[in-house]
Amino acid sequence: MTDIVVRSVEELKDSPEEYREAIGKLVISHAINELYGAQVFDEPAIAFAPTPYAKWLTCRVAMEEYGHHVRFKQLGVQIGIPEARMMPGGNKKPLSIFEFPLKTWEEFVAIKLLADLAEILQVEDLLHCTFHPLRNLARATMPEERFHAQFGEDFSAELVKTPEGKARLQAAVDEYWPYLPKFFGGSNSRNNEIFRKWKIKQRTNDEMREDFVRRATEVAAKYGLTLPEVRQAA
Amino acid sequence: MNNVVSHLSTALGPLRAEIRAASWFAALGEPLTGGDLADAKAYAEAADVAVLTSWPEAERFLKSPDVSLDWWDREEATRKALLAKARARYPEDALLTSLTELTTEAGDLVHGKAAVAATRMGGAAPASVHVAAGADAQAVYQLAVARIAGATGSRFESKFRLFAAGRWPLGIVGSKLSLF
Repeated sequence: MTDIVVRSVEELKDSPEEYREAIGKLVISHAINELYGAQVFDEPAIAFAPTPYAKWLTCRVAMEEYGHHVRFKQLGVQIGIPEARMMPGGNKKPLSIFEFPLKTWEEFVAIKLLADLAEILQVEDLLHCTFHPLRNLARATMPEERFHAQFGEDFSAELVKTPEGKARLQAAVDEYWPYLPKFFGGSNSRNNEIFRKWKIKQRTNDEMREDFVRRATEVAAKYGLTLPEVRQAA
Repeated sequence: MNNVVSHLSTALGPLRAEIRAASWFAALGEPLTGGDLADAKAYAEAADVAVLTSWPEAERFLKSPDVSLDWWDREEATRKALLAKARARYPEDALLTSLTELTTEAGDLVHGKAAVAATRMGGAAPASVHVAAGADAQAVYQLAVARIAGATGSRFESKFRLFAAGRWPLGIVGSKLSLF
């Protein structure tokens, strides 16, 4: 590992090129995926929410996710990334989960329960980031990501009160779970190696994936749900 | 695109000022004034206004499966029509950027005000504070879309005025608006 601390956007300009490129990749990835998530899942979910309470809570979730995109994009602009590179439609491919439009309320609840847990792990791994503006942004979004995962738990608790609701939620978990372990990237990722070299991130992709599967299994079990077996990403 | 975003930002300047000046959630549960009643009737086109006086009462109303969502669907139809007009005037990316930045700013502000109001009134479920912030930020977004579309006198103006006056319109059932 290489010792470096970059306390500001100004200091980033004097950091090694490899470090600056790594930071840029992360900021672009977060900016794009936050926007995709808000557009593909959170905002469409408002229409599926069953009561005004659920609708406005979903509105808040959607606005916070859009807000995360705005904050990552603002940081990206500050460090010199063109805005177009932080919007969908560019070279960066979205996560595969975003290719499937939301169809039901239960699907959204399953996504909040499990996919936002994956998001929490990604943000946790940035809490000690050597680039302090990114570290601080991670700290700012963490309470909101925890609220989003809690949303998933609260509405899962509601749905599993009836056998029909539990069956629909389980079906949604079965459909979406296979995509989620892939969030954490390949086992021999060169990007991850560079992130850890510069202490931008702390853990390997495999370590994060194993932790995610363990925590997701625990949270699903709280509501009597099971996770289907999947082959892990290579 | 930066010029268009800048132009939209200028167009939304008066709304930003109204957002900063508003008394978000400061009059929850208080007796209605003549001004509140006028705005409530203009927003809901309703004959009756019922005032709810506590966070638990508001939460029960909002969670009730018996409350019709017809009013929500009507507002959504209005919003979509106005958004289509807004899209005809401005590029999609610029519109998304401006609306997202405005609602992000507003959301952070109103969330804090909702939390303060809940504490002042003896507390509320944490999720209910998020619900209040979601409702308020949605009203800001709806009005922003209406103004960008060039619509004057939309129902979203009177809805926003109710929120800005410290109230929270919870929903319209039949000819009655429930107001917190």
